[in-house]
Amino acid sequence: MTEYVETRPVDFSELSAVVGSAPPVAQNVTYERIREARSESHNWLTYYGAYDGQRYSLLDQINTENIKQLVPAWVFQWGAAGMHAGPSTYAFEAAPIVVDGVMYVSGWDSWVWAIDARTGQNLWVYKHAVPFDTSLCCGNVNRGVAVAKGKVFVVTLNAHVIALDAATGKAVWDSPYGDVRAGESATIAPLVVKNLVIVGSSGGEFGVRGHLDAFDLDSGEHVWRCYMIPKPGEPGSDTWPADGEAWARGGGNCWVTGTYDPETNLLYWGTGNPGPDFDGEVRPGDNLYTDCVVAVDVDSGQLRWHYQCTPHDLWDYDSTMECILFEQEGRKLLAHFDKNGYCFILDRTNGQLVRVFPFGERIDWGEITPDGKVTPKKYPEKEGEPVHFWPGPAGAKEWTHAAYNPRTELFYVPVQDVGAEITRRRREFKESIPYWGASVIVDAKDMRGFVKAFDASGNERWRWDAKWPISASVLTTAGDLAFVGEPTGEFNAFHARTGELLWQFQTGSGHHSSPSTYSVDGRQYVAVPTGWGSWVEGFAPGMLAGQHGDAVFAFALPE
Amino acid sequence: MATLVPDRASMFSEIGLDTQNKAGLGRIIANGPIARAEEGADGRLSAQIRIPPDELIFDPSILVMPHGGDLELEIVNDDTNTHCANLPSNGDNKWMWLPVYSRGRVTLNLDGPGQYWFSSNIGNDEGRGLIGAIVVLGDVPPEARLDRPPQPRP
Repeated sequence: MTEYVETRPVDFSELSAVVGSAPPVAQNVTYERIREARSESHNWLTYYGAYDGQRYSLLDQINTENIKQLVPAWVFQWGAAGMHAGPSTYAFEAAPIVVDGVMYVSGWDSWVWAIDARTGQNLWVYKHAVPFDTSLCCGNVNRGVAVAKGKVFVVTLNAHVIALDAATGKAVWDSPYGDVRAGESATIAPLVVKNLVIVGSSGGEFGVRGHLDAFDLDSGEHVWRCYMIPKPGEPGSDTWPADGEAWARGGGNCWVTGTYDPETNLLYWGTGNPGPDFDGEVRPGDNLYTDCVVAVDVDSGQLRWHYQCTPHDLWDYDSTMECILFEQEGRKLLAHFDKNGYCFILDRTNGQLVRVFPFGERIDWGEITPDGKVTPKKYPEKEGEPVHFWPGPAGAKEWTHAAYNPRTELFYVPVQDVGAEITRRRREFKESIPYWGASVIVDAKDMRGFVKAFDASGNERWRWDAKWPISASVLTTAGDLAFVGEPTGEFNAFHARTGELLWQFQTGSGHHSSPSTYSVDGRQYVAVPTGWGSWVEGFAPGMLAGQHGDAVFAFALPE
Repeated sequence: MATLVPDRASMFSEIGLDTQNKAGLGRIIANGPIARAEEGADGRLSAQIRIPPDELIFDPSILVMPHGGDLELEIVNDDTNTHCANLPSNGDNKWMWLPVYSRGRVTLNLDGPGQYWFSSNIGNDEGRGLIGAIVVLGDVPPEARLDRPPQPRP
């Protein structure tokens, strides 16, 4: 009879140099500190750096005078191993959060790491087990974490929101909030406001019903849900067919983090495309609240106002991207650079349009007049008949974020100039099966990109021409710099006032993430995740075979 | 009804896809035996996976859990080569050596429906066939589902 040796399991991360714990720096991260995050610019406390979404830091140690000396301080690499969801489409999209020398960052396939922000040492790792058959329209990605009261909050690809102990990386609570069998997933960076963790759902290409949810920060208890598609009889339901269930498959997902104004007590969130994306005949009407900027009362989850950027969308023009809060001539405004190629300046107290101006390059899908009147011109209408339009379904700007610098009073916008040919192909709705209603071919050769700077009146102040679409977020600082990466791996620093390219570093893989900046012991760092992937066939198909990767680079001036 | 297409299993065997170093270099991946985890009276799920000699395969290589939760798994290596097990579980993967003639127990937590991958992640055990899936059946909890009428599925 065979004698068997007994063997014992270990946690896989024990077989690495991970420390296993982090200093308890997140214990004292309160709502009050997050509300005043910009005043402690040595940290990057929340997704956009501050609730206003400006992606602007007061740090100026790195500036236009010394930027040419910037060098890598450390690199954190992880790498993909084995099989995971979207093995060919995973990407590193997060915005690193930094609290008093500790960086918290999430990766593809529900990895979360705490990293020594000074050295790059891996402090702890969390891995949520994710089914590799999870429905994903656009790759295996996650856009970041939130930190408060000793916890790190993150969503998992299979639509859970979880709280981790910020000192150990161990799970504290776990709340599922999406239905993977319906095609839902989760990729958003949570936003902490007061005692709430606010998250939205992904899955707009699978005919789901988009929603925004709030959970109690301490317990994980579900507090409220705000659906972005009204049920029959609810306000806005008259923008959907009275008969049938088009509303139930209507989309409007909130898959990108919103902003928040403590004075209005409103969240400003963008909503996604309607479902099916391109076949509008099955959903006549404006299809509220898809493609909207919505204002939601943070305490109740009630929708206060909305502004729809693309009524009855036929182009896949989500409006999920950021709403940047700023003031002009005493007015409380927000700026929203939409996929449809136009920037909307809204009064954030009531949602009234202040002005709208084009920021995209080639725009021929339709026209929006300065008073906001939308006239569609080119769209898939007849079954089987191809239609070409600009911008394509990835938009003149994808979800990656613009930035606003109060010193220069300029917005810095990553611009994609890519068209697409869409052919309407009707299909029956079936849960978890892609529900586009079209065949989609995005131009693979005729494409380019820009970094453009606009003032709040819509005047273009400078532009930088790029060979490829710019599909990464911009970071701007009091050093009069604007940072943004390229699909080919270059990480660039521009003079924020002139657009002059001042510095460049080749990171080896394309950028589709949100850089942040912080300082430790008086030394300023600029951190950027690199790792090309996600919906490349949508926003830059000419780079579909681009170099993969998965690293966080931290740059600093020589010591 | 008669068909000219042979059944799947016999075609695999005829071509030699179900054994090592016959058709391909290894056995075609993710094509091994299938089994259900057992659910005890207390609701606890358990299962055993073995590595048979010279097949470079987990038996079963497809393990089915009736619902999410904890799974008590025993893995036995009957092979005369060393392997390992890299297993999905919330928090961190569980990993153990599987020396020649060894057995080990591990508890996994998998929280929802879908297919979770596991393997022996040394050498090219994965490419040769030592790769498998734990399939969790069932639905997400009611509070995580959409408020809408039941929808058609494929």
